Amino acid sequence: MAHQVKFEQLAFWLNRVGAVFTVGFSVVFLVMLGASAGNHRAASLGGARLVTYYVPGFIAYGVMAAGFTTLAITLVVRRETGLLKRLRLSPLPTWVLLSSIFVSTAIVAVVQALLLLVIGRVAYHVPLPASWPALVMAVVVGIVSFSAMGVAISTVVPNQETAGPVTSVVFFVLLFLAGLYFPVPAGSGLAKFSNYLPVRHLILAMDRPFDIPRGVSVWAWHDLAVVALWGAGATLVALRRFRWSPHRA
Amino acid sequence: MNLALRVAGLAKSYGSLRAVDDVAFDVERGEVFALLGPNGAGKSTTIEVLEGFLRRDAGTVEVLGVDPGDPRRLPELRTRIGVVLQELAVEPYFTVRQVLERNAGIYPRPRSVDEVIDLVGLTEKRDAKIKRLSGGQQRRLDIGLGIVGNPELLFLDEPTTGLDPAARRTTWDLIRHLASEGTTVVMSSHYMDEVEALAGRVAVLSRGRVVALGTTATLGGRDKGEARIRFTLPDGAAVSDLPIPVSRVDGDTVEVRTANEVDALHALTTWAQQRGASSLGLRVTRETLEDIYLTLTGSGVDEPARSES
Repeated sequence: MAHQVKFEQLAFWLNRVGAVFTVGFSVVFLVMLGASAGNHRAASLGGARLVTYYVPGFIAYGVMAAGFTTLAITLVVRRETGLLKRLRLSPLPTWVLLSSIFVSTAIVAVVQALLLLVIGRVAYHVPLPASWPALVMAVVVGIVSFSAMGVAISTVVPNQETAGPVTSVVFFVLLFLAGLYFPVPAGSGLAKFSNYLPVRHLILAMDRPFDIPRGVSVWAWHDLAVVALWGAGATLVALRRFRWSPHRA
Repeated sequence: MNLALRVAGLAKSYGSLRAVDDVAFDVERGEVFALLGPNGAGKSTTIEVLEGFLRRDAGTVEVLGVDPGDPRRLPELRTRIGVVLQELAVEPYFTVRQVLERNAGIYPRPRSVDEVIDLVGLTEKRDAKIKRLSGGQQRRLDIGLGIVGNPELLFLDEPTTGLDPAARRTTWDLIRHLASEGTTVVMSSHYMDEVEALAGRVAVLSRGRVVALGTTATLGGRDKGEARIRFTLPDGAAVSDLPIPVSRVDGDTVEVRTANEVDALHALTTWAQQRGASSLGLRVTRETLEDIYLTLTGSGVDEPARSES
């Protein structure tokens, strides 16, 4: 198992484009947005500085990028090149094969979250979370649920060529609707629509441990429940549709 | 007799498509055995059942004495077989050595990684990124991954499809070398020359059935040496005048198939001499393996592509 996780990590970091896309994006975004708009104070955040909103937002982004986009693309590429099938036909137990992929995904998400916390603290004086357990809870629920969604969407992508575009477009549209880049005012039409989607809820669940908005519980049970529900639905789809072998023309 | 493979009455359908129907053959240990047939003939489906990847609908299958359809014994069987897929299943970002080390770690009694690298002729490229290798080098690495677990039986599914001629030759040399070491090889191919160059015995599949089974030398009565004599009827002669039995007539052209070409030619030329004909446009040919293959499988095969698993 450790042997496999080690190689999964190696595979992730050796693929520089993938690593930059997943980890680099969130760091670069935080730095850029923090530098340009970070000191603005938003009324919708109770007058808090925008950058304090970006740190949890990009932690959520990192969790979703690792679980959804990167995992989905990895699975499609490995399925279509025969790598999944080849390992399936080796003596490696299926649970080791799959769980090493999931554990590796989680490691990437956690490394990224720590990186963002440190950069936010050092560069922009963003306070560390008020509640670590609440943050860990949100990260765990996020990774598990979005990994399930990543597996689910990998089953509907037919080939390697479309894996990147399909997952990225879906992902960025979801992010935009969910107000990752700019706070979405509560009660607006956009907020109502994205209430049915998991992305906004994960961002909100990440905000709460940082005490955003102020004066409410750090545990965002409702938001976490919505994310978990999506995760459960995705798991059903994944279990029904997952396949090992490539599509052949 | 020490069998590596025993297959009898094997059947597998995808929906209403009978991909494999009543397939039977045995493979002895140390043999190189080929499944030959056009696309959609059932080669890959047969191999996938033998590998334990697909469940069969009917029939008996024993791989190294183990039923691959038995989930309790499959993990042990997988340590004893090697698999090379049609796809080049190699990760682009690793080096040759890294990916071999990774896979060696999965098996209980692997070959040494250096030995495999030498064997597949990638000594110079051992620390090169896989994406920098040529197609032929990637295929040899792919076969290296198939043998790193030190298998008793190696499955090769169309090992040279898509390779250029030079890469095909080096891949053939590698397969011959593995066979000479005693590894049993079961391969599929739709290339005649490949099967003739590598395999001792061959099963020809067409539309999910075995239509011929034997050594490449005896396939389809090839060893009986039946010759085809073709000639043009001399002016004023009728087919009924000929001294030997005729197989086919096409306008003026006559074809005679015979096991005894010496007697047939003698009778024919004597007959022509007596009639005062000086030329018959004689051609004597023999069936190639390709002719036999096309006869057996029916040319212009147009079948639905193999279904998903």
